[in-house]
Amino acid sequence: MTASPSTSTGTSSVVPLSDARQVSLVDILDRLLGTGVVLAGDVVISLAGVDLVQVRLHALITSVRADMPGMRVPQEVDRGR
Amino acid sequence: MAEEGRGRYLFAVTRGLSEGALGGVSGLRSHPVEVVECHGLQAVVGTVDLEEFGEEAVTRNLEDLAWLEEVARTHNDVVFAVASRATVAPMRLVTICSDDDSVRRRVEDLHEALEAALDRVEGRQEWSVKAYAAPEPAPASAVAEAPSASSGAEGLAYLQRKKAAAEQRRSAGEQSARVADELHHRLAGASVAGRLLAPQDPRLTGRSDPMILNAAYLVSVEDADSFRELASEVAREHPSVVVEVEGPWPPYSFATLE
Repeated sequence: MTASPSTSTGTSSVVPLSDARQVSLVDILDRLLGTGVVLAGDVVISLAGVDLVQVRLHALITSVRADMPGMRVPQEVDRGR
Repeated sequence: MAEEGRGRYLFAVTRGLSEGALGGVSGLRSHPVEVVECHGLQAVVGTVDLEEFGEEAVTRNLEDLAWLEEVARTHNDVVFAVASRATVAPMRLVTICSDDDSVRRRVEDLHEALEAALDRVEGRQEWSVKAYAAPEPAPASAVAEAPSASSGAEGLAYLQRKKAAAEQRRSAGEQSARVADELHHRLAGASVAGRLLAPQDPRLTGRSDPMILNAAYLVSVEDADSFRELASEVAREHPSVVVEVEGPWPPYSFATLE
C-alpha cells in the first residue's frame, strides 16, 4: 500500500484520512450537499437552491482556477466525440 | 438557547456521545460546539448569527466560494470530530433552527428514521473510491501532424491514421467504462452498501484524465484492510485505470433517512 498518489498505470493508492483538513472541497461538497440527513430547519434553503449552488459552484471554481497563475484549466480536448 | 438574532446550526445527530466529549471542538465563527439531548439521541449544534446565516444572507453567501469553503470545512471538521467519538448521522450543509426547542422538536419528529440511520452505520465507515482512465500512450505515429502539401496518398494516410486514433480512443472509453463497472461491483460485494456519486468534472479535479468512477462504500471497521486490498487487486488486473481509495470518512452517504 502506498500513500503517495501515483500516475502510473494500473495502480491504486490509499490516502488515509487521519485529518479532516486533508480532503478536497469538492469531495466535501459531494457529501454535504448531495447526501447527509435532510432535516427541515427554520431557515429554509430550498432544494432548488442547493441544486443552484452546485451549478454556481461549478462556474465559480472554473473561474477561480482560470484566475490562478500557474493553474491551467485543462483544455476541452477532442475525446473522440 | 439561542438569543435574539441568533440561530442553532445543526452539524450532526449522534448516539452514545458521552458528556463533555466534544469539549474544545469549535463550530462556526469560533462558537463552541454544544450538545442538545433529544430522548436518547444528541444533536450537535453551534450558535450562528442570523445576519450571516438567515435565509436571505445564506442564499447570498452561498455564492461566495470562500464563505462556502469555510462553512463546509468547519462542518466537516465537526462531523469528523463526532465520528471519532460516537456513531454519527451528519446533517446536510446549512441546517439551521431558531432555538434548542425547535432542534428537539425536529429531531423528535424524525426519531425512528434517525435511529434506523444510526443502526445502519454503527461500527462502519465510508470509503471513497475514485478511478481514472490512465493517460493514453502516445499514438505510434504523430497524428496531429497534418501533411503540409496535400499530395493525395499522404492525405489519405493521414485520414486513416486519424480515424484509427479516434477508434482507439472510443474503444479505450468503452474499456474504462467496463473496468469501472467491474470495480464497482466487486467493491460493492465486499462492503455493506455502495453508492455511486456523479463523476467529478476534470475542471474540478484539476486532472486531465477523465474520472470514470466516483463511489462511496460502507465498510465494517474490521473489513477495512481487505476492502482496500481488493481495490488494489482490481487495479493491478487492469493497467488501463488508476484507482484512488480515500478514507475512512464519516458515513455521509449512508446515514440517510429512508
